[in-house]
Amino acid sequence: MAIDFARTVADNQSLVFSLAVRFLRDREGAEELAQDVFLQLYKQIRQIESPAHAASWLRRAICHRCIDEARKRRLRPRIALEDVPEPASESRNADPFLNERLRRLVGDLPESARMVVLLRYQEDLDPSDIAGMLNMPISTVKSHLHRSLAVLRGRLTKQAVCG
Amino acid sequence: MSFEGDLRSALRREPAPEGFAARVLAKTAAAERAVVVPFRGMPLTLAMAAGLIVALMIPPGLHEYKQRQRGIEAKDQLMVALSITRVQLKQARGKIRQGTRAKL
Repeated sequence: MAIDFARTVADNQSLVFSLAVRFLRDREGAEELAQDVFLQLYKQIRQIESPAHAASWLRRAICHRCIDEARKRRLRPRIALEDVPEPASESRNADPFLNERLRRLVGDLPESARMVVLLRYQEDLDPSDIAGMLNMPISTVKSHLHRSLAVLRGRLTKQAVCG
Repeated sequence: MSFEGDLRSALRREPAPEGFAARVLAKTAAAERAVVVPFRGMPLTLAMAAGLIVALMIPPGLHEYKQRQRGIEAKDQLMVALSITRVQLKQARGKIRQGTRAKL
């Protein structure tokens, strides 16, 4: 075995779970999916060459599993985003209300756009990496980002105006 | 902070639920132990005939082979248990550190 599986789980559990929970907006479903992805990795562990390779493999796997799962459900979330407990590690100077509103608005984006936004702003990936991960032309990624930011800004302003 | 900065802050990774890693490792251990049922899906008579042939062909070294297998399984289980313990210790250590920092 090229890498230590237990360590890989410990190091990447937050990456995999966060992507799933933000995308599906359902903690229980997200945990199930995240566990499945780690089991899938365990079966192919001999093909994984390094911790970085494992992280990239997991990121790609959870993205595709989330999109498949959402398509299967044709997503009406089992738990609304407002019911999902907030992360314990909220930074001290962040506005928790703004964060909650933004997460909810991101959760309302269409599936592909939502995943692109999560990979860009949660995982900090470049548009070219996102394009490779989601098998999408880079122009589509950029257009998803551009449109999503405009939509998010617009909705946030509208909410602020309407109170 | 810029809008994109706000978005980054809102979408920061959150920790996996308590005991997540241990549950994953337990599942992989269970998958390892899953028994493959021979002759599954075969008609009964065919399965019995195949079973009889296999029984006649059992090598004399079967006992040693079984003992070796048991040894390997026991070793695997021990490794999984150690991995789980290590992950749990790491989580506990992290919490203690967080607690200490919070006090400071």
